[in-house]
Amino acid sequence: MATQLRRSLLTLIFICWAISSTSSDQVGTSYGDSDQIRSLCISDRFIMESYFTTTHTSLDDSEFRNFLLHQQCSSDKIPSEHDPNIVPATSLIQHRNVTGEGSHRNLLTSIKLLPLYLEFQLQELVILERLPLGVFADPFELQSIQQRRVFSDVSVFGDTNLELPSFRSNRSVVEIHVEVSPRDYENGEISLKLPLHARYQPLDDSGYSRVEFGEPDLFLCSSHVQNHQHEQRRCLVLSIGRSKTETRSVFWDIPAGIRGHTEYVSALTFAAAVLSAISILVASVLSSKVESCKNSKQS
Amino acid sequence: MSRGSENTDDEPPKWMSFRSLLVFSMFLRVFLIVYGEWQDAHMEVRYTDVDYIVFSDAASLMASGESPYKRTTYRYSPLLALLLTPHSFFHRSFGKFLFSASDLLVGWFIHTILKERKVPEKICTYSVMVWLFNPFTFTIGTRGNCEPLVCAMILWIIISLMQGKLAQAAFWYGLVVHFRVYPIIYALPIILVLDSQVFRSDQKPPLEDWNTGQTKTPTSNTEKKTILFNLLTALKSLFSRERIMFALISGGVFLACNAVSFYFYGHEFLHEALLYHLTRTDPRHNFSIYFYHIYLHYERQFSAVEKLISFLPQFTVQFALVSCFWQDLVFCIFLQTVAFVAFNKVITAQYFVWFYCLLPLILPWSRMKLKWEGLLCIILWIGAQTHWLLWGYMLEFKGLNVFLQLWAASLLFLAANTFVLVKIIQRHRFSPLFRRYESSSQKHVKKLH
Repeated sequence: MATQLRRSLLTLIFICWAISSTSSDQVGTSYGDSDQIRSLCISDRFIMESYFTTTHTSLDDSEFRNFLLHQQCSSDKIPSEHDPNIVPATSLIQHRNVTGEGSHRNLLTSIKLLPLYLEFQLQELVILERLPLGVFADPFELQSIQQRRVFSDVSVFGDTNLELPSFRSNRSVVEIHVEVSPRDYENGEISLKLPLHARYQPLDDSGYSRVEFGEPDLFLCSSHVQNHQHEQRRCLVLSIGRSKTETRSVFWDIPAGIRGHTEYVSALTFAAAVLSAISILVASVLSSKVESCKNSKQS
Repeated sequence: MSRGSENTDDEPPKWMSFRSLLVFSMFLRVFLIVYGEWQDAHMEVRYTDVDYIVFSDAASLMASGESPYKRTTYRYSPLLALLLTPHSFFHRSFGKFLFSASDLLVGWFIHTILKERKVPEKICTYSVMVWLFNPFTFTIGTRGNCEPLVCAMILWIIISLMQGKLAQAAFWYGLVVHFRVYPIIYALPIILVLDSQVFRSDQKPPLEDWNTGQTKTPTSNTEKKTILFNLLTALKSLFSRERIMFALISGGVFLACNAVSFYFYGHEFLHEALLYHLTRTDPRHNFSIYFYHIYLHYERQFSAVEKLISFLPQFTVQFALVSCFWQDLVFCIFLQTVAFVAFNKVITAQYFVWFYCLLPLILPWSRMKLKWEGLLCIILWIGAQTHWLLWGYMLEFKGLNVFLQLWAASLLFLAANTFVLVKIIQRHRFSPLFRRYESSSQKHVKKLH
């Protein structure tokens, strides 16, 4: 009875705190939206690694959700709901925005974690950024960021071809691992800055193509042990992101070619090439000389 | 470079001797490599070229027994990765030292070629400085770009031909075409210049000196007819011993390198190192006039007819240049390279090195004076590039839709290239690389009489 009362009290405190923490920039989801999926058990270092090593070759949101369902831990591995030491973990996305100018920008995300007590140690926050078609992350750039210890681990999955335009490419996913400590729960936000680059967009009469960002998927996982590749990692699902943000949309307007330019651009391009070729041809014919004239002068 | 001065035998000052220039250039490059390492470690904007990271990763993969093509965007011969494998156990900047050494070697070769043709020391030195102190060229090697290696090979081929070492020239030609496909455009003028009347592989061919042919006049109608006559004469003996030997050796080396690479790396090698370069079209903005046309049509494939039509200007220019200038081999390949780059479907700044290494070799034969015609050409060419870069900056770093303006800037750049090319042609003192054996023997016969 006392235990149940304490749990109810904690839940009430949590609800009050959640309401009071809401700001105009908050776009977050909470634990309740992913109530079908509580925790995952994965054997790979990265969650997305498991996804792409199965039959999936490209990212599809509904397929990915089904994949997560199949990665759930068996019931005996899930902490008991009646265990008084367990408090539901949660997170809030405080702020999300695309900053910078031009074709190279940063996706900023601020995440707030709530205090957590668990039977097993969950020390790593895993963020899955399922990027929309039209933008990509450079794996090599992310590697150098990782070397500067900004993230504990990062990898890009899906279409990593940096050169293709968006209408010839598929989506990609960036999986970021960030170490969390008790101080992160006390002090508040974990800020992430993910550098992104624009692909060439489909033609658009307006001259711009809009790319919209959804919400990331958030997990709290046990740390990956380097030498134990087959040991399963446990991940608590904090939130499964929506394809569009809840309150304020996060988007990026990227310049796109204008279809109406096609005819005269092609015509003038060829005209310029032909004119230049003729100029060089005429200059060559007029200016070239015969070697025999020089030899006859020397004799 | 104008030969305005009467006293062309003046030696340059001691501090400007070739040796001291080379030593100074070497120290400059070492300094830039060391500075580059510092900048990479301490600043967000890296000094090192992205390509160098690609080469290094590919070399590391090869050193650990894997395919270099596992590294995305590695589109070169496996030879390059093999050359850089020592970087895994020496230092990561090993490749930069290798490329910078090639850069210095290019300077050495330029000096050698000009001295062989008896160009006065002062003009030699100025010509070499055009390469060694060109800011573009001394940064390209120190940033880790491999183009100086290709340039060194091409100049070595010219030196080999000048020394009558046909097999050597053919070997390196086959290798350089395997390494970087574009030198295939030099095949025709090289084959033409191996005319048995000018080139005999068992002896060093007589070279046309810088001092001869000073009073050449522009072509008359008679001379125009003989351009065709000379070409037909050269083609008549197309299957001479020297030409067949050159074709067999270079073709054999090219095929052998490809066969070995294919044996180890299969279709990945074929696609990434060869076919990609032959079929490359890039809708992303670059200096080429075709980029916006390609982007606007990228959602549908081009037909074979459209591809052929777009190739016609390039083909016409290459054919015209070879037909008119093949005897002046160095000048011919310089013009071919400039035109090839200007009319290509994709143009990036690193392609400019391909003709920068040949420019010093033609300057001693140019009547163009630096003041003011030379300066005008330099300003127009750099100005057109800068204009393009400004619009490129607006698109890429400010996110403004300026595709049309950028495309117009690329048209202007083509116009600047054409203008400079035409001016160089008009001001060039035609000077065949080899002197004809026939005319020497005729002289001898006349003397006997």
